[in-house]
Amino acid sequence: MTDARAEPPTEVSPPPPPPPVQLTGSPTDFLKGVVGKRVKVRLVSGVDYQGVLSCLDGFMNIALEQTEEHVNGVVTNKYGDAFIRGNNVLYISALEAL
Amino acid sequence: MDVSGTGIQEPFDLIRLSLSERVFVKLRGDRELSGILHAYDGHMNLIMSDVEETIMIVDTESAMAGQGVVNVAKRKMEMLFVRGDSVILVSPPSRT
Amino acid sequence: MASQILPLELIDRCIGSRLWVIMKNEREFVGTLLGFDDYVNIVLEDVIEYENTAQGQKKTKLAHTLLNGSNIAIASFRL
Repeated sequence: MTDARAEPPTEVSPPPPPPPVQLTGSPTDFLKGVVGKRVKVRLVSGVDYQGVLSCLDGFMNIALEQTEEHVNGVVTNKYGDAFIRGNNVLYISALEAL
Repeated sequence: MDVSGTGIQEPFDLIRLSLSERVFVKLRGDRELSGILHAYDGHMNLIMSDVEETIMIVDTESAMAGQGVVNVAKRKMEMLFVRGDSVILVSPPSRT
Repeated sequence: MASQILPLELIDRCIGSRLWVIMKNEREFVGTLLGFDDYVNIVLEDVIEYENTAQGQKKTKLAHTLLNGSNIAIASFRL
């Protein structure tokens, strides 16, 4: 093998990055860390959903379990499961330590 | 990531598992639907049947006085297409 | 080349410092910037949310929070 592109000389290649001991804080890392935790999801309309975050996708579509709907601080609904369409989401905030 | 062993890996799984079931849907504009879910797509466009729609009509004058919803209008529809961009929330029937 | 430095590079320099985020709708957040992505979704910690309501300004404390970039209008910071 003489193709340098296939196997770059070891002295030129950068050292491998250390394994991430702590998450860097990017949105992706935040979302990885927050799955399975209790969260508050606030919609643009001001309505809150509190529950356990089952999963989410790149559109910020969210699946919550044990969900409570809060309007002006009052519980107005409860859902075993809830799918929230991502375009309505203002923020996702952790209710417990990540 | 499957948190609770329910087979949900992504949010849309929740919807997929609710096909042919009665779901509760919250829409923009204070509308709520309850009906049987027949189809959905990635936009969250929905086809529902046997639907009851509930519209909250807030009377602005009494809202100023700090009162709650004044009027609730309901109607039934056989079959509905719901455009995905108005969907806020879909809640399937409880799996417990 | 539009500019020597890209807007997101400037925000990147703010990681670890306080950031003031103004949303499209009368809502503001102040918090320590942990990170962001190309959509300018922003992760903050030790957050205060300011809401302007009919009853006046309402403050809410939040811990680790991800702000949806699609609702963000302005982010203000010191370098």
